[in-house]
Amino acid sequence: MFLRQIYNYANLRASFHALQRAASSTGNTGTASATLLYNRDPQPRFTDPETQKLLQSMTQLQLEKIFQKTTVPDNSVDYKLMTMDMLEDEFRKSIERAKNRLQMPPVVQMKKDERRIISNDSALSGFSDTKYVITDITYGLRQTERKVVVRQTDGTLEHAPMEITKRMHQLYFPLTGRSIRTPRMFADEHLQRCLDEQKYLFILNRMVVQFDPFEPEFHTISSRVYQHINETKQFDILRSTRHFGPMTFFFAWHRCIDDLLYDMVRRDYLQNAAELIALLYKLHDMEPNYKNILKQIDEIKPKEDLALKELEKALKRASSDVKEDIQSAIGKTQVDFELDDLCLPFIEDYISKHALKKVQLELATQTIKEINAEKRQLFEGISKAHGVA
Amino acid sequence: MITILRAISRNLINEKFSVVNRVCFPQQLTYFHSGATLRCDVKPEENVNSSESNNLTADEIKKRQNDRTQVIPVETSMRYLKSSAYKETYGDQLVWEQYRRNHKGAIPPRKTRKTCIRKGVISTGNPCPICRDEYLVLDHRNIDLLQQFISPHTGQILSYSKTGLCQKKHFQLTVAVERARDYGLITFDVPFREFDLDEYYGKAEVKKE
Repeated sequence: MFLRQIYNYANLRASFHALQRAASSTGNTGTASATLLYNRDPQPRFTDPETQKLLQSMTQLQLEKIFQKTTVPDNSVDYKLMTMDMLEDEFRKSIERAKNRLQMPPVVQMKKDERRIISNDSALSGFSDTKYVITDITYGLRQTERKVVVRQTDGTLEHAPMEITKRMHQLYFPLTGRSIRTPRMFADEHLQRCLDEQKYLFILNRMVVQFDPFEPEFHTISSRVYQHINETKQFDILRSTRHFGPMTFFFAWHRCIDDLLYDMVRRDYLQNAAELIALLYKLHDMEPNYKNILKQIDEIKPKEDLALKELEKALKRASSDVKEDIQSAIGKTQVDFELDDLCLPFIEDYISKHALKKVQLELATQTIKEINAEKRQLFEGISKAHGVA
Repeated sequence: MITILRAISRNLINEKFSVVNRVCFPQQLTYFHSGATLRCDVKPEENVNSSESNNLTADEIKKRQNDRTQVIPVETSMRYLKSSAYKETYGDQLVWEQYRRNHKGAIPPRKTRKTCIRKGVISTGNPCPICRDEYLVLDHRNIDLLQQFISPHTGQILSYSKTGLCQKKHFQLTVAVERARDYGLITFDVPFREFDLDEYYGKAEVKKE
Protein backbone atom coordinates (compact mmCIF):
# COMPACT_ATOMS: atom_id res chain seq x y z
CA MET A 1 0.00 0.00 0.00
CA PHE A 2 2.75 2.36 1.00
CA LEU A 3 4.61 1.58 -2.19
CA ARG A 4 1.52 2.25 -4.19
CA GLN A 5 1.22 5.63 -2.58
CA ILE A 6 4.76 6.53 -3.45
CA TYR A 7 4.14 5.41 -6.97
CA ASN A 8 1.05 7.57 -7.19
CA TYR A 9 2.90 10.50 -5.74
CA ALA A 10 5.64 10.11 -8.31
CA ASN A 11 3.03 9.97 -11.03
CA LEU A 12 1.38 13.10 -9.81
CA ARG A 13 4.68 14.91 -9.71
CA ALA A 14 5.52 13.80 -13.21
CA SER A 15 2.22 15.04 -14.54
CA PHE A 16 2.64 18.29 -12.66
CA HIS A 17 6.03 18.81 -14.24
CA ALA A 18 4.61 18.07 -17.64
CA LEU A 19 1.88 20.63 -17.06
CA GLN A 20 4.39 23.19 -15.94
CA ARG A 21 6.48 22.61 -18.99
CA ALA A 22 3.50 22.98 -21.25
CA ALA A 23 2.51 26.20 -19.53
CA SER A 24 5.97 27.68 -19.76
CA SER A 25 6.33 26.79 -23.41
CA THR A 26 3.07 28.45 -24.34
CA GLY A 27 3.97 31.45 -22.23
CA ASN A 28 7.24 31.97 -23.98
CA THR A 29 6.03 31.71 -27.52
CA GLY A 30 3.51 34.38 -26.63
CA THR A 31 1.29 35.39 -29.47
CA ALA A 32 3.08 33.18 -31.98
CA SER A 33 1.28 30.03 -32.93
CA ALA A 34 2.93 26.68 -32.34
CA THR A 35 6.29 26.28 -34.05
CA LEU A 36 5.78 25.09 -37.59
CA LEU A 37 7.82 22.07 -38.57
CA TYR A 38 8.24 20.15 -41.79
CA ASN A 39 5.59 17.45 -41.76
CA ARG A 40 7.38 15.30 -44.32
CA ASP A 41 10.88 15.09 -45.74
CA PRO A 42 11.57 18.49 -47.36
CA GLN A 43 14.93 17.45 -48.75
CA PRO A 44 13.99 16.19 -52.27
CA ARG A 45 11.99 19.36 -52.90
CA PHE A 46 14.76 21.55 -51.53
CA THR A 47 17.62 20.00 -53.46
CA ASP A 48 15.70 20.07 -56.72
CA PRO A 49 17.83 22.11 -59.20
CA GLU A 50 14.95 24.38 -60.18
CA THR A 51 14.16 25.19 -56.54
CA GLN A 52 17.81 25.84 -55.85
CA LYS A 53 18.01 28.21 -58.78
CA LEU A 54 14.95 30.12 -57.60
CA LEU A 55 16.25 30.34 -54.05
CA GLN A 56 19.67 31.53 -55.18
CA SER A 57 18.13 34.17 -57.38
CA MET A 58 15.96 35.40 -54.52
CA THR A 59 18.89 35.49 -52.13
CA GLN A 60 20.72 37.99 -54.37
CA LEU A 61 24.45 38.46 -54.42
CA GLN A 62 25.23 41.77 -52.75
CA LEU A 63 28.98 41.89 -52.47
CA GLU A 64 29.05 44.72 -49.92
CA LYS A 65 26.92 42.68 -47.58
CA ILE A 66 28.76 39.39 -48.02
CA PHE A 67 32.18 40.96 -47.58
CA GLN A 68 31.16 43.40 -44.89
CA LYS A 69 33.62 44.24 -42.16
CA THR A 70 33.96 41.52 -39.58
CA THR A 71 36.07 41.12 -36.50
CA VAL A 72 39.05 38.90 -37.21
CA PRO A 73 42.09 38.31 -35.04
CA ASP A 74 44.42 39.10 -37.92
CA ASN A 75 43.70 42.41 -39.62
CA SER A 76 46.67 42.51 -41.97
CA VAL A 77 46.33 43.66 -45.58
CA ASP A 78 48.26 42.45 -48.62
CA TYR A 79 49.33 44.85 -51.34
CA LYS A 80 50.28 43.45 -54.72
CA LEU A 81 51.20 44.75 -58.13
CA MET A 82 49.09 43.11 -60.84
CA THR A 83 48.45 43.19 -64.54
CA MET A 84 44.92 43.68 -65.84
CA ASP A 85 44.50 39.96 -66.50
CA MET A 86 45.61 39.02 -63.02
CA LEU A 87 43.26 41.59 -61.55
CA GLU A 88 40.35 40.20 -63.51
CA ASP A 89 41.24 36.74 -62.35
CA GLU A 90 41.35 37.91 -58.76
CA PHE A 91 37.90 39.49 -59.10
CA ARG A 92 36.51 36.26 -60.49
CA LYS A 93 37.97 34.38 -57.57
CA SER A 94 36.42 36.74 -55.06
CA ILE A 95 33.04 36.33 -56.75
CA GLU A 96 33.47 32.59 -56.33
CA ARG A 97 34.30 33.13 -52.68
CA ALA A 98 31.17 35.22 -52.27
CA LYS A 99 29.06 32.44 -53.80
CA ASN A 100 30.68 30.02 -51.42
CA ARG A 101 29.68 32.18 -48.49
CA LEU A 102 26.08 31.93 -49.63
CA GLN A 103 26.06 28.14 -49.42
CA MET A 104 22.68 27.29 -47.93
CA PRO A 105 22.64 25.06 -44.85
CA PRO A 106 21.02 21.71 -45.74
CA VAL A 107 17.30 21.35 -45.17
CA VAL A 108 16.76 17.75 -44.19
CA GLN A 109 14.32 15.75 -42.17
CA MET A 110 14.58 15.58 -38.42
CA LYS A 111 16.35 12.45 -37.26
CA LYS A 112 14.77 10.33 -34.55
CA ASP A 113 16.92 8.77 -31.90
CA GLU A 114 16.36 5.03 -31.84
CA ARG A 115 18.11 2.28 -29.95
CA ARG A 116 20.17 0.06 -32.23
CA ILE A 117 21.61 -2.92 -30.39
CA ILE A 118 24.61 -4.65 -31.93
CA SER A 119 24.95 -7.59 -29.59
CA ASN A 120 23.61 -8.72 -26.24
CA ASP A 121 26.45 -10.23 -24.23
CA SER A 122 24.88 -11.08 -20.93
CA ALA A 123 28.07 -12.82 -19.87
CA LEU A 124 29.71 -9.43 -19.57
CA SER A 125 27.07 -7.95 -17.27
CA GLY A 126 28.58 -6.26 -14.26
CA PHE A 127 32.06 -6.08 -15.80
CA SER A 128 32.23 -2.47 -14.71
CA ASP A 129 30.05 -0.01 -12.87
CA THR A 130 30.25 2.56 -15.67
CA LYS A 131 29.45 2.25 -19.34
CA TYR A 132 32.18 2.49 -21.94
CA VAL A 133 31.97 4.68 -25.03
CA ILE A 134 34.15 3.55 -27.93
CA THR A 135 34.83 6.00 -30.76
CA ASP A 136 36.39 5.37 -34.15
CA ILE A 137 39.00 8.10 -34.58
CA THR A 138 40.41 7.04 -37.96
CA TYR A 139 41.85 9.99 -39.85
CA GLY A 140 39.90 11.41 -42.78
CA LEU A 141 36.50 9.87 -42.16
CA ARG A 142 33.31 11.87 -42.48
CA GLN A 143 31.49 12.58 -39.26
CA THR A 144 28.48 10.58 -40.43
CA GLU A 145 30.64 7.56 -41.20
CA ARG A 146 32.33 7.62 -37.84
CA LYS A 147 31.07 4.87 -35.54
CA VAL A 148 30.46 5.54 -31.87
CA VAL A 149 29.30 2.56 -29.80
CA VAL A 150 28.48 2.08 -26.15
CA ARG A 151 29.09 -0.98 -23.98
CA GLN A 152 26.42 -0.82 -21.30
CA THR A 153 27.06 -2.18 -17.80
CA ASP A 154 24.68 -5.06 -18.46
CA GLY A 155 26.85 -6.19 -21.35
CA THR A 156 24.84 -4.93 -24.33
CA LEU A 157 26.79 -3.33 -27.12
CA GLU A 158 24.79 -0.68 -28.98
CA HIS A 159 25.16 2.37 -31.18
CA ALA A 160 25.47 5.50 -29.09
CA PRO A 161 22.51 7.86 -28.97
CA MET A 162 22.81 11.08 -30.97
CA GLU A 163 23.73 13.19 -27.99
CA ILE A 164 26.73 11.05 -27.05
CA THR A 165 27.81 10.72 -30.68
CA LYS A 166 27.83 14.47 -31.10
CA ARG A 167 29.78 14.96 -27.89
CA MET A 168 32.41 12.43 -28.91
CA HIS A 169 32.78 13.99 -32.35
CA GLN A 170 33.26 17.38 -30.78
CA LEU A 171 35.74 15.91 -28.31
CA TYR A 172 37.99 14.25 -30.88
CA PHE A 173 37.39 16.45 -33.93
CA PRO A 174 36.35 19.86 -32.64
CA LEU A 175 34.41 22.16 -34.93
CA THR A 176 35.50 25.77 -34.40
CA GLY A 177 32.75 27.76 -32.80
CA ARG A 178 30.85 24.80 -31.42
CA SER A 179 30.90 24.13 -27.70
CA ILE A 180 30.34 20.78 -26.02
CA ARG A 181 27.67 22.24 -23.79
CA THR A 182 24.81 23.95 -25.60
CA PRO A 183 25.10 27.73 -25.14
CA ARG A 184 22.47 29.08 -22.78
CA MET A 185 21.42 31.44 -25.51
CA PHE A 186 19.37 28.63 -27.04
CA ALA A 187 17.35 28.11 -23.86
CA ASP A 188 13.77 29.25 -24.25
CA GLU A 189 13.77 32.54 -22.39
CA HIS A 190 17.17 33.72 -23.61
CA LEU A 191 16.30 32.85 -27.19
CA GLN A 192 13.12 34.88 -26.87
CA ARG A 193 15.14 37.84 -25.61
CA CYS A 194 17.58 37.53 -28.52
CA LEU A 195 14.66 37.39 -30.94
CA ASP A 196 13.13 40.50 -29.41
CA GLU A 197 16.45 42.26 -29.87
CA GLN A 198 16.31 41.13 -33.53
CA LYS A 199 19.70 39.40 -33.51
CA TYR A 200 18.42 37.06 -36.22
CA LEU A 201 21.62 36.65 -38.15
CA PHE A 202 23.63 36.00 -35.01
CA ILE A 203 21.19 33.36 -33.78
CA LEU A 204 21.09 31.60 -37.13
CA ASN A 205 24.85 31.69 -37.64
CA ARG A 206 25.46 30.31 -34.20
CA MET A 207 22.76 27.70 -34.57
CA VAL A 208 24.25 26.45 -37.84
CA VAL A 209 27.58 25.91 -36.11
CA GLN A 210 26.20 24.51 -32.87
CA PHE A 211 23.66 22.06 -34.26
CA ASP A 212 23.57 19.67 -37.17
CA PRO A 213 20.79 20.14 -39.72
CA PHE A 214 19.07 16.90 -38.77
CA GLU A 215 18.85 17.71 -35.07
CA PRO A 216 15.45 18.62 -33.63
CA GLU A 217 16.87 21.81 -32.07
CA PHE A 218 17.98 22.99 -35.51
CA HIS A 219 14.43 22.69 -36.76
CA THR A 220 12.67 24.24 -33.79
CA ILE A 221 15.07 27.17 -33.42
CA SER A 222 15.18 28.01 -37.12
CA SER A 223 11.42 27.80 -37.39
CA ARG A 224 11.04 30.12 -34.40
CA VAL A 225 13.44 32.62 -35.92
CA TYR A 226 11.70 32.54 -39.30
CA GLN A 227 8.31 33.00 -37.73
CA HIS A 228 9.56 35.89 -35.65
CA ILE A 229 11.00 37.51 -38.77
CA ASN A 230 7.67 37.02 -40.48
CA GLU A 231 6.02 38.90 -37.65
CA THR A 232 8.50 41.77 -37.49
CA LYS A 233 8.94 41.80 -41.30
CA GLN A 234 12.70 42.33 -41.09
CA PHE A 235 13.43 40.19 -44.13
CA ASP A 236 16.14 42.51 -45.31
CA ILE A 237 18.44 41.44 -42.48
CA LEU A 238 18.72 37.98 -44.01
CA ARG A 239 18.85 39.06 -47.65
CA SER A 240 22.11 38.07 -49.31
CA THR A 241 23.05 35.71 -46.51
CA ARG A 242 23.05 31.91 -46.55
CA HIS A 243 19.84 31.80 -44.50
CA PHE A 244 17.58 33.61 -46.95
CA GLY A 245 17.04 30.54 -49.12
CA PRO A 246 15.97 28.18 -46.33
CA MET A 247 13.75 30.92 -44.89
CA THR A 248 11.98 31.47 -48.20
CA PHE A 249 11.60 27.74 -48.64
CA PHE A 250 10.11 27.52 -45.15
CA PHE A 251 7.55 30.21 -45.91
CA ALA A 252 6.64 28.70 -49.23
CA TRP A 253 6.29 25.27 -47.67
CA HIS A 254 3.96 26.55 -44.96
CA ARG A 255 2.06 28.85 -47.34
CA CYS A 256 2.77 32.09 -45.53
CA ILE A 257 4.60 34.05 -48.20
CA ASP A 258 2.35 37.13 -48.21
CA ASP A 259 4.49 39.27 -45.93
CA LEU A 260 7.67 38.38 -47.75
CA LEU A 261 5.95 39.06 -51.07
CA TYR A 262 4.80 42.45 -49.82
CA ASP A 263 8.36 43.27 -48.76
CA MET A 264 9.73 42.26 -52.16
CA VAL A 265 7.16 44.26 -54.07
CA ARG A 266 7.71 47.30 -51.90
CA ARG A 267 11.45 47.15 -52.46
CA ASP A 268 10.88 46.78 -56.21
CA TYR A 269 12.31 43.25 -56.44
CA LEU A 270 9.51 42.23 -58.78
CA GLN A 271 11.43 39.41 -60.40
CA ASN A 272 12.07 37.91 -56.96
CA ALA A 273 8.40 38.28 -56.11
CA ALA A 274 7.45 36.34 -59.23
CA GLU A 275 10.00 33.68 -58.38
CA LEU A 276 8.61 33.40 -54.87
CA ILE A 277 5.13 32.78 -56.24
CA ALA A 278 6.54 30.26 -58.70
CA LEU A 279 8.21 28.47 -55.81
CA LEU A 280 4.93 28.32 -53.91
CA TYR A 281 3.14 26.89 -56.97
CA LYS A 282 5.93 24.40 -57.46
CA LEU A 283 5.96 23.13 -53.90
CA HIS A 284 2.21 22.66 -53.74
CA ASP A 285 1.58 21.76 -57.40
CA MET A 286 -0.94 24.55 -57.59
CA GLU A 287 -0.72 26.11 -61.02
CA PRO A 288 1.39 24.63 -63.76
CA ASN A 289 1.77 27.84 -65.77
CA TYR A 290 4.61 29.15 -63.60
CA LYS A 291 7.18 27.40 -65.79
CA ASN A 292 6.37 29.66 -68.72
CA ILE A 293 7.11 32.81 -66.84
CA LEU A 294 10.38 31.46 -65.49
CA LYS A 295 11.43 30.57 -69.01
CA GLN A 296 10.51 34.04 -70.25
CA ILE A 297 12.48 35.67 -67.44
CA ASP A 298 15.47 33.55 -68.34
CA GLU A 299 15.22 34.58 -71.97
CA ILE A 300 14.97 38.28 -71.28
CA LYS A 301 17.63 38.44 -68.60
CA PRO A 302 21.05 38.95 -70.20
CA LYS A 303 23.94 36.91 -68.91
CA GLU A 304 26.16 39.51 -67.32
CA ASP A 305 29.62 39.04 -65.99
CA LEU A 306 29.45 40.20 -62.43
CA ALA A 307 33.21 40.08 -61.92
CA LEU A 308 33.91 42.31 -64.89
CA LYS A 309 31.21 44.73 -63.84
CA GLU A 310 32.67 45.02 -60.39
CA LEU A 311 36.13 45.46 -61.81
CA GLU A 312 35.02 48.33 -63.98
CA LYS A 313 33.20 49.87 -61.08
CA ALA A 314 36.32 49.60 -58.99
CA LEU A 315 38.50 51.18 -61.66
CA LYS A 316 35.91 53.92 -62.14
CA ARG A 317 36.34 53.92 -65.83
CA ALA A 318 34.62 56.83 -67.49
CA SER A 319 31.68 55.19 -69.17
CA SER A 320 31.90 55.89 -72.86
CA ASP A 321 28.26 55.17 -73.40
CA VAL A 322 25.49 57.68 -72.79
CA LYS A 323 23.15 54.75 -72.32
CA GLU A 324 24.99 53.58 -69.25
CA ASP A 325 24.92 57.06 -67.79
CA ILE A 326 21.17 57.19 -68.15
CA GLN A 327 20.81 53.76 -66.61
CA SER A 328 22.91 54.61 -63.62
CA ALA A 329 20.98 57.84 -63.12
CA ILE A 330 17.59 56.14 -63.12
CA GLY A 331 18.73 52.88 -61.58
CA LYS A 332 16.93 50.70 -64.10
CA THR A 333 17.64 49.40 -67.56
CA GLN A 334 15.43 48.66 -70.52
CA VAL A 335 15.57 44.99 -69.59
CA ASP A 336 14.38 45.74 -66.07
CA PHE A 337 11.30 47.48 -67.41
CA GLU A 338 10.54 44.53 -69.66
CA LEU A 339 10.92 42.16 -66.70
CA ASP A 340 8.55 44.28 -64.65
CA ASP A 341 5.98 44.11 -67.41
CA LEU A 342 6.31 40.36 -67.42
CA CYS A 343 6.18 39.86 -63.66
CA LEU A 344 3.44 42.27 -62.67
CA PRO A 345 0.50 40.41 -64.28
CA PHE A 346 1.78 37.16 -62.77
CA ILE A 347 1.92 38.71 -59.30
CA GLU A 348 -1.50 40.29 -59.69
CA ASP A 349 -2.90 36.98 -60.77
CA TYR A 350 -1.58 35.39 -57.58
CA ILE A 351 -2.96 38.20 -55.44
CA SER A 352 -6.44 37.89 -56.86
CA LYS A 353 -6.52 34.10 -56.65
CA HIS A 354 -4.58 32.92 -53.61
CA ALA A 355 -3.35 35.82 -51.47
CA LEU A 356 -4.56 36.19 -47.90
CA LYS A 357 -3.55 39.83 -47.43
CA LYS A 358 -5.16 41.02 -50.65
CA VAL A 359 -5.75 44.71 -49.91
CA GLN A 360 -2.26 45.38 -48.67
CA LEU A 361 -0.62 43.62 -51.60
CA GLU A 362 -2.86 45.28 -54.16
CA LEU A 363 -1.99 48.70 -52.80
CA ALA A 364 1.71 47.89 -52.90
CA THR A 365 1.59 46.68 -56.49
CA GLN A 366 -0.41 49.75 -57.47
CA THR A 367 2.13 52.16 -56.00
CA ILE A 368 5.11 50.32 -57.47
CA LYS A 369 3.34 50.33 -60.83
CA GLU A 370 2.93 54.08 -60.70
CA ILE A 371 6.51 54.68 -59.64
CA ASN A 372 7.82 52.45 -62.38
CA ALA A 373 5.64 54.11 -64.98
CA GLU A 374 7.07 57.45 -63.97
CA LYS A 375 10.59 56.12 -64.11
CA ARG A 376 9.97 54.62 -67.50
CA GLN A 377 8.64 57.87 -68.85
CA LEU A 378 11.70 59.66 -67.60
CA PHE A 379 13.97 56.98 -69.02
CA GLU A 380 12.41 57.16 -72.44
CA GLY A 381 12.42 60.93 -72.41
CA ILE A 382 16.09 61.18 -71.59
CA SER A 383 16.97 58.48 -74.10
CA LYS A 384 15.12 60.37 -76.78
CA ALA A 385 16.79 63.62 -75.88
CA HIS A 386 20.19 62.01 -76.18
CA GLY A 387 19.24 60.35 -79.42
CA VAL A 388 19.67 56.83 -78.04
CA ALA A 389 17.24 54.34 -79.39
CA MET B 1 43.06 61.28 -13.80
CA ILE B 2 42.91 64.89 -12.70
CA THR B 3 40.25 65.72 -15.23
CA ILE B 4 38.17 62.86 -14.00
CA LEU B 5 38.46 64.07 -10.45
CA ARG B 6 37.46 67.54 -11.50
CA ALA B 7 34.43 66.16 -13.23
CA ILE B 8 33.59 64.23 -10.13
CA SER B 9 33.87 67.28 -7.95
CA ARG B 10 31.62 69.14 -10.35
CA ASN B 11 29.21 66.29 -10.03
CA LEU B 12 29.09 66.54 -6.31
CA ILE B 13 28.00 70.14 -6.47
CA ASN B 14 25.48 69.39 -9.15
CA GLU B 15 21.90 69.23 -8.01
CA LYS B 16 20.92 66.54 -10.48
CA PHE B 17 23.45 64.30 -8.96
CA SER B 18 21.92 64.38 -5.54
CA VAL B 19 18.60 63.46 -7.11
CA VAL B 20 20.21 60.44 -8.66
CA ASN B 21 21.66 59.68 -5.30
CA ARG B 22 18.42 59.78 -3.48
CA VAL B 23 16.83 57.47 -5.93
CA CYS B 24 19.58 54.91 -5.65
CA PHE B 25 20.51 55.08 -2.01
CA PRO B 26 17.94 56.33 0.39
CA GLN B 27 20.17 55.80 3.43
CA GLN B 28 23.37 57.43 4.57
CA LEU B 29 25.51 56.49 1.60
CA THR B 30 25.35 59.55 -0.53
CA TYR B 31 28.48 59.72 -2.68
CA PHE B 32 28.74 58.35 -6.13
CA HIS B 33 32.50 58.19 -6.28
CA SER B 34 33.51 58.02 -2.71
CA GLY B 35 37.18 58.46 -3.61
CA ALA B 36 36.58 61.96 -4.84
CA THR B 37 35.01 63.84 -1.95
CA LEU B 38 38.17 64.00 0.02
CA ARG B 39 40.24 65.69 -2.59
CA CYS B 40 37.76 68.24 -3.78
CA ASP B 41 36.69 71.07 -1.54
CA VAL B 42 32.94 71.03 -1.35
CA LYS B 43 31.03 74.08 -0.25
CA PRO B 44 28.85 73.35 2.75
CA GLU B 45 25.85 75.39 1.54
CA GLU B 46 25.49 73.53 -1.69
CA ASN B 47 26.08 70.00 -0.63
CA VAL B 48 24.08 67.98 1.81
CA ASN B 49 26.91 65.54 2.38
CA SER B 50 29.39 68.09 3.58
CA SER B 51 27.70 68.72 6.91
CA GLU B 52 28.01 65.05 7.58
CA SER B 53 31.63 64.88 6.48
CA ASN B 54 32.54 67.97 8.48
CA ASN B 55 31.90 66.11 11.69
CA LEU B 56 34.28 63.35 10.74
CA THR B 57 38.03 63.53 10.97
CA ALA B 58 40.12 63.27 7.83
CA ASP B 59 41.13 59.75 8.69
CA GLU B 60 37.56 58.60 9.04
CA ILE B 61 36.60 60.11 5.73
CA LYS B 62 39.47 58.41 4.01
CA LYS B 63 38.55 55.12 5.58
CA ARG B 64 35.01 55.49 4.39
CA GLN B 65 36.02 56.34 0.85
CA ASN B 66 38.40 53.47 0.50
CA ASP B 67 35.95 51.02 1.92
CA ARG B 68 34.73 48.52 -0.68
CA THR B 69 32.83 46.09 1.52
CA GLN B 70 29.43 47.22 0.32
CA VAL B 71 28.24 45.15 -2.59
CA ILE B 72 26.74 47.24 -5.38
CA PRO B 73 24.04 45.41 -7.32
CA VAL B 74 24.52 45.09 -11.09
CA GLU B 75 21.25 46.83 -11.81
CA THR B 76 22.58 49.95 -10.10
CA SER B 77 25.75 49.77 -12.12
CA MET B 78 23.78 49.40 -15.34
CA ARG B 79 21.70 52.43 -14.43
CA TYR B 80 24.85 54.35 -13.52
CA LEU B 81 26.39 53.74 -16.94
CA LYS B 82 23.38 55.42 -18.52
CA SER B 83 23.19 58.28 -16.02
CA SER B 84 24.25 61.89 -16.42
CA ALA B 85 26.70 61.44 -13.56
CA TYR B 86 28.59 58.86 -15.60
CA LYS B 87 28.42 61.06 -18.67
CA GLU B 88 29.95 63.98 -16.84
CA THR B 89 32.67 61.90 -15.27
CA TYR B 90 33.91 60.08 -18.34
CA GLY B 91 32.41 62.07 -21.18
CA ASP B 92 32.52 60.16 -24.45
CA GLN B 93 35.69 58.35 -23.48
CA LEU B 94 35.97 54.77 -22.40
CA VAL B 95 36.33 53.97 -18.74
CA TRP B 96 39.99 53.00 -19.03
CA GLU B 97 41.08 55.53 -21.60
CA GLN B 98 42.30 58.25 -19.23
CA TYR B 99 43.89 55.85 -16.75
CA ARG B 100 47.66 55.92 -16.54
CA ARG B 101 49.70 53.33 -14.73
CA ASN B 102 52.06 54.35 -11.96
CA HIS B 103 55.45 52.71 -12.10
CA LYS B 104 59.08 53.25 -11.36
CA GLY B 105 61.32 53.87 -14.38
CA ALA B 106 60.45 54.11 -18.04
CA ILE B 107 59.48 50.49 -18.69
CA PRO B 108 56.26 49.34 -17.04
CA PRO B 109 56.21 45.95 -15.32
CA ARG B 110 54.88 43.19 -17.60
CA LYS B 111 51.86 42.50 -15.45
CA THR B 112 49.61 44.88 -13.60
CA ARG B 113 49.20 44.55 -9.86
CA LYS B 114 47.50 41.47 -8.46
CA THR B 115 44.62 43.34 -6.90
CA CYS B 116 43.71 46.85 -5.85
CA ILE B 117 41.37 45.87 -3.03
CA ARG B 118 42.67 43.96 -0.02
CA LYS B 119 40.48 43.06 2.94
CA GLY B 120 37.67 45.20 1.57
CA VAL B 121 39.79 48.35 1.41
CA ILE B 122 41.61 50.00 -1.48
CA SER B 123 45.24 49.29 -0.74
CA THR B 124 46.86 51.44 -3.39
CA GLY B 125 47.10 55.06 -4.33
CA ASN B 126 46.33 54.43 -7.99
CA PRO B 127 43.58 51.82 -8.21
CA CYS B 128 42.72 50.37 -11.63
CA PRO B 129 39.86 51.81 -13.74
CA ILE B 130 37.32 49.33 -12.40
CA CYS B 131 38.44 49.41 -8.77
CA ARG B 132 38.59 53.20 -8.51
CA ASP B 133 34.91 53.64 -9.40
CA GLU B 134 32.88 51.42 -7.14
CA TYR B 135 29.81 51.66 -9.36
CA LEU B 136 31.47 49.80 -12.19
CA VAL B 137 30.47 46.21 -11.59
CA LEU B 138 31.71 43.44 -13.83
CA ASP B 139 28.83 41.14 -14.66
CA HIS B 140 27.53 39.45 -17.78
CA ARG B 141 24.42 41.62 -17.77
CA ASN B 142 26.40 44.85 -17.71
CA ILE B 143 26.97 44.90 -21.46
CA ASP B 144 27.67 48.62 -21.76
CA LEU B 145 30.68 48.19 -19.53
CA LEU B 146 31.91 44.96 -21.12
CA GLN B 147 31.72 46.42 -24.62
CA GLN B 148 34.31 49.01 -23.61
CA PHE B 149 36.85 46.27 -23.07
CA ILE B 150 36.28 44.45 -26.37
CA SER B 151 38.23 45.50 -29.43
CA PRO B 152 35.97 46.52 -32.32
CA HIS B 153 38.56 45.29 -34.82
CA THR B 154 39.46 41.87 -33.51
CA GLY B 155 36.51 41.11 -31.24
CA GLN B 156 38.88 40.02 -28.51
CA ILE B 157 39.18 41.26 -24.95
CA LEU B 158 41.72 44.05 -24.68
CA SER B 159 44.90 43.25 -22.82
CA TYR B 160 45.51 44.55 -19.31
CA SER B 161 48.65 46.19 -20.62
CA LYS B 162 46.34 48.48 -22.57
CA THR B 163 43.46 48.91 -20.13
CA GLY B 164 45.54 48.79 -16.92
CA LEU B 165 43.08 46.56 -15.06
CA CYS B 166 44.48 44.72 -12.07
CA GLN B 167 44.85 40.97 -12.53
CA LYS B 168 41.86 40.15 -10.38
CA LYS B 169 39.50 42.45 -12.25
CA HIS B 170 40.88 41.30 -15.59
CA PHE B 171 40.07 37.73 -14.70
CA GLN B 172 36.58 38.76 -13.63
CA LEU B 173 36.24 40.58 -16.94
CA THR B 174 37.12 37.51 -19.00
CA VAL B 175 34.59 35.46 -17.05
CA ALA B 176 31.88 38.07 -17.48
CA VAL B 177 32.51 38.40 -21.23
CA GLU B 178 32.47 34.65 -21.71
CA ARG B 179 29.20 34.38 -19.83
CA ALA B 180 27.70 37.24 -21.81
CA ARG B 181 28.60 35.46 -25.05
CA ASP B 182 27.07 32.28 -23.72
CA TYR B 183 23.82 34.04 -22.93
CA GLY B 184 23.84 35.77 -26.30
CA LEU B 185 23.96 39.21 -24.70
CA ILE B 186 27.05 40.15 -26.67
CA THR B 187 27.03 39.35 -30.37
CA PHE B 188 30.19 38.29 -32.12
CA ASP B 189 31.15 36.98 -35.53
CA VAL B 190 30.55 33.26 -35.56
CA PRO B 191 33.08 31.31 -37.67
CA PHE B 192 31.74 30.22 -41.03
CA ARG B 193 30.82 26.56 -41.27
CA GLU B 194 31.13 25.06 -44.71
CA PHE B 195 28.86 22.10 -45.24
CA ASP B 196 29.89 19.03 -47.11
CA LEU B 197 26.54 18.71 -48.87
CA ASP B 198 27.11 15.13 -49.98
CA GLU B 199 27.18 14.17 -46.34
CA TYR B 200 23.58 15.29 -45.97
CA TYR B 201 22.14 14.73 -49.42
CA GLY B 202 24.29 11.93 -50.76
CA LYS B 203 22.48 9.12 -49.05
CA ALA B 204 19.11 9.98 -50.53
CA GLU B 205 20.54 9.81 -54.03
CA VAL B 206 21.83 6.35 -53.36
CA LYS B 207 18.38 5.33 -52.23
CA LYS B 208 16.80 6.63 -55.41
CA GLU B 209 19.08 4.50 -57.53
